[in-house]
Amino acid sequence: MADLQIDHVTKTFGDTQVLKGISLDIADGEFVSLVGPSGCGKSTLLRIIAGLESQSSGAIRIQGQDVSGVRAADRNLSMVFQSYALYPHLTVAENISVPLKMRQLSSLQRLPVIGAFMPGAHEKNAEIAASVKHAAQTLEIDRLLNRKPGQLSGGQRQRVALGRALVREPAAFLLDEPLSNLDAKLRVQTRTEIAELHRRLGATFVYVTHDQVEAMTMSSRIAVMMGGEILQCDVPDEVYNNPLDIRVAEFIGSPKINILPVEASNGGLRFGDVVLPTVAPKMLKGPIRIGLRPEGLRLAAEDAVLTGQVMHVENLGSEIFAQINLPGHDGRITMRASPAQRNSLHIGANIGLAFEGRAALLFDPNGKRVFNPQVDPVQSEVA
Amino acid sequence: MTRDLWKHLILIFGALIVIAPFYMMISYSFKSPGEIDRGEGGFFGRQEMMVDERCVKLRDPDRDDVATAAPRFPNQTDRQIRDALVAEAVADCQMRPIVFNYTKAFTEAPLLRYLLNGVIVTASIFLIQIVVALPAAYALAKLKFWGREAVFSIVLFCLLIPVHAIALPLYIMLAKVGLTNTYAALVVPWTISVFGIFLMRQFFMTVPDDLIDAARMDGMGELAIVWRVMLPTAIPALLAFAIFSVVAHWNDYFWPRIVVTGNRDLFTPPLGLREFKGDGDGSFFGPMMATATVIVTPLIVAFLVAQRRFIEGITLSGMK
Repeated sequence: MADLQIDHVTKTFGDTQVLKGISLDIADGEFVSLVGPSGCGKSTLLRIIAGLESQSSGAIRIQGQDVSGVRAADRNLSMVFQSYALYPHLTVAENISVPLKMRQLSSLQRLPVIGAFMPGAHEKNAEIAASVKHAAQTLEIDRLLNRKPGQLSGGQRQRVALGRALVREPAAFLLDEPLSNLDAKLRVQTRTEIAELHRRLGATFVYVTHDQVEAMTMSSRIAVMMGGEILQCDVPDEVYNNPLDIRVAEFIGSPKINILPVEASNGGLRFGDVVLPTVAPKMLKGPIRIGLRPEGLRLAAEDAVLTGQVMHVENLGSEIFAQINLPGHDGRITMRASPAQRNSLHIGANIGLAFEGRAALLFDPNGKRVFNPQVDPVQSEVA
Repeated sequence: MTRDLWKHLILIFGALIVIAPFYMMISYSFKSPGEIDRGEGGFFGRQEMMVDERCVKLRDPDRDDVATAAPRFPNQTDRQIRDALVAEAVADCQMRPIVFNYTKAFTEAPLLRYLLNGVIVTASIFLIQIVVALPAAYALAKLKFWGREAVFSIVLFCLLIPVHAIALPLYIMLAKVGLTNTYAALVVPWTISVFGIFLMRQFFMTVPDDLIDAARMDGMGELAIVWRVMLPTAIPALLAFAIFSVVAHWNDYFWPRIVVTGNRDLFTPPLGLREFKGDGDGSFFGPMMATATVIVTPLIVAFLVAQRRFIEGITLSGMK
């Protein structure tokens, strides 16, 4: 168990800079998700932490120790791969025992056949077998120990890969999209299990995913990466409610946040000809954008701010998402409604929408968050 | 329908051309010299009793033989005794052609010794080839280093060099270090197999990088990865390479003929065929073909046993 420090790490492949000076402190026992669209550099960062790739500059410190130039094998980290990467020729038990065998047995004791007869090998092998059994029981795969990976289902392989990672006590666990090869149902189940595993072990987890739901549901903190930078790193609540960048706002949350182009002047906002109920800072002028979460919108009759036509309705049973076309706006906006409102949301219906002024997130023309002194007094002071 | 028919006819024709020499070899190994000369007797020959002329000639009785045999033939002239002894010899030297051919194959030359030499040489070559080719192929397929592509191009280029072109320099080098007429001379020149490196490299390219990274995370060094991860996953490809390597060196006539210049103890099986080549007293086609049959049998049996995995290895579809 240990803390991790990522200190101004950059990585260039040829002419392209994949990581642009990433800094991130991960405390002991924390579950940090690196989340971002594909190609944002999150996997590269994980591989640099693991020692499978070397950084172009900057440093990785594990418990204060700079590990630059230390082989992956000697960093005492465990990794779970997206493809699971189990050894196809070994049984489940042998797969899980490999990290222990490579670390605890001498090279003589590892020799095939005669290795077992070397002095001390018997006791160590018994110890290893016990650890393997314990890890297998933790993950409920002890009945599969004699099978080969080829005979396992995707979920079982995933557990074996986890078992191989947690059989020894590494400084930290690195997980590279471990759920993306599972079907949707199993993914939800395994998500819970990994989160519980993290609570039980109290170990440091670094979890790479492109799925914001996984990041939201499992992490202590989320680091949203885009274009080789960390845009924001905070607890899930903050990242969702207070995105500091329009790209973060767009990436986190499903369905996606609605972005509307608006005109700011004299502390007011206008969308086309409509005056919005949101107050803007006085110095803000010209075209900016606001973000409205689907759950921030509600159906309205008399006090409607926006009006539009329902184009498509998605009924999820417990909630309904309606896609609405606003006149004078290119894209559709999404609104969340309760099943009770289903009747007024038939396709083609003209409806009115309203929202609380404080529900709108303001972003300046560069996509940076603007805090409203009236709505967010605390943040605006900090900002 | 007719298209299929044509397809099959053409393929059958091709197969017959390939099989014909084997048919002749096996058929000759059954027949008597007379039948081979006259080209009769079908596949098995008539298997009539034949007399081994050399056997009779070896037992040609001299004066002493006649003297010792005299008590067995009382009241007969020396001439009669001699004729009787010759008749006995002829009777003893009678045998079926198939028996004649195969006993000749094993008795005329120490064929078992040659087969043993063949096993020693091909097995040593194959093992050392693996020891060299696997790490080289791993480096070429999975490690990133400056000049990797250039090195691989050189490997490919080496595939184009015919053995016969470098045979003479190789021979001179071996002679200078005094290695001619040793097992080493038969083995050493073949230990670095460019084809093996190429084939294994192509197979290793299909092994997922994650597997190697996982091995590194598990604490393995690069050599441990080669022997503990790559070798076991590459078994189908290794079997394919084994067949190519073993067949080539088991059947090799050219190189052993060059470096084994006197010591018959080092003869490999193909050199054994020379024992029957026609000198003054005519060729022994029957025993020669019997020897050839004995030599190719182990290979054919090995191929049939490993057939399925061998084809798997050539198509390089071992990992998914």
